[in-house]
Amino acid sequence: MSSSKVQYTEDQFIDGLRTGNNEVLNVLYKKYYNIVLKFIVNNSGTQEAAQDIYQETIIVLYENVQKPGFELNCQLQTYIYSIAKRLWLKQLKKNSKTFLFKDDDENEVVDVTEDMTVYETKEAELEKMNQSLAELGEPCATLIKDFYVQKLSMDEIAEKFGYTNADNAKNQKYKCLQRLKKSFFELLPVEQIERK
Amino acid sequence: MRPIDLFDDYLSGKLSADDVLDFENRLRSDNTFAEAFEQHKTLVDALHKSEKRTAFKNKLKAIHTSAFGNDAKIISINREEGFVKRYGKTVLVAASTAAIVVLSTVAAISPGVKQTNNEITELGLKLQASNQAIVEGIKEGSQKPLPAPANLEGSAFAFNNKGYIITSSHMVNGADSVFVQNGSLERTLTEVVLIDTKLDIAILKIANPDVVKTWDVPFTFNQKNTDLGEKVYTLGYPRKDVVYGEGSLSSLSGYYNDTTMYQISIPVNPGNSGGPLLNDQGNVIGVIRGKITGAEATGFAIKSNEIFRSIEALTVDSVKTDLLSQSKKQTLKGLKRTEQIKRINPYVFNVLVYKKD
Repeated sequence: MSSSKVQYTEDQFIDGLRTGNNEVLNVLYKKYYNIVLKFIVNNSGTQEAAQDIYQETIIVLYENVQKPGFELNCQLQTYIYSIAKRLWLKQLKKNSKTFLFKDDDENEVVDVTEDMTVYETKEAELEKMNQSLAELGEPCATLIKDFYVQKLSMDEIAEKFGYTNADNAKNQKYKCLQRLKKSFFELLPVEQIERK
Repeated sequence: MRPIDLFDDYLSGKLSADDVLDFENRLRSDNTFAEAFEQHKTLVDALHKSEKRTAFKNKLKAIHTSAFGNDAKIISINREEGFVKRYGKTVLVAASTAAIVVLSTVAAISPGVKQTNNEITELGLKLQASNQAIVEGIKEGSQKPLPAPANLEGSAFAFNNKGYIITSSHMVNGADSVFVQNGSLERTLTEVVLIDTKLDIAILKIANPDVVKTWDVPFTFNQKNTDLGEKVYTLGYPRKDVVYGEGSLSSLSGYYNDTTMYQISIPVNPGNSGGPLLNDQGNVIGVIRGKITGAEATGFAIKSNEIFRSIEALTVDSVKTDLLSQSKKQTLKGLKRTEQIKRINPYVFNVLVYKKD
């Protein structure tokens, strides 16, 4: 069993999440899992579904605390429960038209519509990027990520992918990026990006 | 120079001061160029976000696995009851004639549970404050406190005469306290001595030597391979009372060809997790692990020889020596199934797991 049990205030949780503190994330994750697990399992879900919904819930929270001026107007537990409930109801609705739904009396629910919208918009964009990267295939996807995300130099990329020199690697990167661009913007019209 | 290369050089600060000025002038004067640059930034930005999200997702998965084990793909079949009693308002969302999904555990609530709700909740708090108080309360005998409902319930069975008990790790992982009980043993506190989340087994020990001094475990663990089609049975606690289930060994591997498991044709239910899988001779050939989504009469059990392999891999200490000391006498061989069960029953337990939060 875990040896040290660090206690954090809700503000410390939010701050830690905002600054990417792994220890805080770890404690937070463990602290609220059972609430979501109970809720999902009591509402036609498996433990596996609970795990997925809980992780998505934490992502929603994580995305929202990054927004400048984010303020939690309720207990963190209430917020997490409300988000998880929204996500789970959405999934239940997708699977069947009718279902019985039992609210957990111990947990209040707050309106998280706005936070969910922020998340869903971003999620749609990320989904398109993932899809484009998958279509792009290898070695292009890795090459692009190595250059733009890992910030490898063209020399390093040439070495890693076996191109004769940096110029060849650069040409390859150019071709790969053109393809990625094409597929990403076909999926996502430019107007849609600008509207955000 | 191709625009994309120029964009990348500008963004990574590789342009000279003069070139930066030129670049920025061109952005102001050339709309097509500016638009292409914006598009490029959007693309690179989305790429960053997607990588960041993937990294965050992986981080969450790692936290989950280290904290709660990994039950992916297979549904763990423990009962979660502690919260079921608080089955608040039932709301019917979207009226239509399509199928209604309800969780079976909800239907299983006894009417008495709700009436004593307040009392139970109160005791639950006490239990969290001090498990010792409950244990002592039980020992006193005369005025037993009504025990709080456990957060998780499942099955377990004796591992040897030294008071060791085996169950599933997904049951006891992260547990605050773990009790066992059955028809012949009152609710007794155990200590978790070994957890193998990969194999999904955990070994508990009854700390009180008085409880185990009369133990004479009738079954042995089968260390050899078992044949396909062999008749097998299990005993477990999907309810408060022990339940028998029989079938045959339908595959020598589990989900996704996992060779650490057997597939069995026994319908297993929430609460069966951690129970023994026995063959005709009354030898333990495995530990019930779970079932697969959608397949009703299919269960999975962890092979007993895999369990010993896991124990063998432990660094040598007293627990390892204790665990490897196994009785060799097969007292159940040749007995009728009903007679076997009579002798096994005292060594199959209902596990009650309490977790904080």
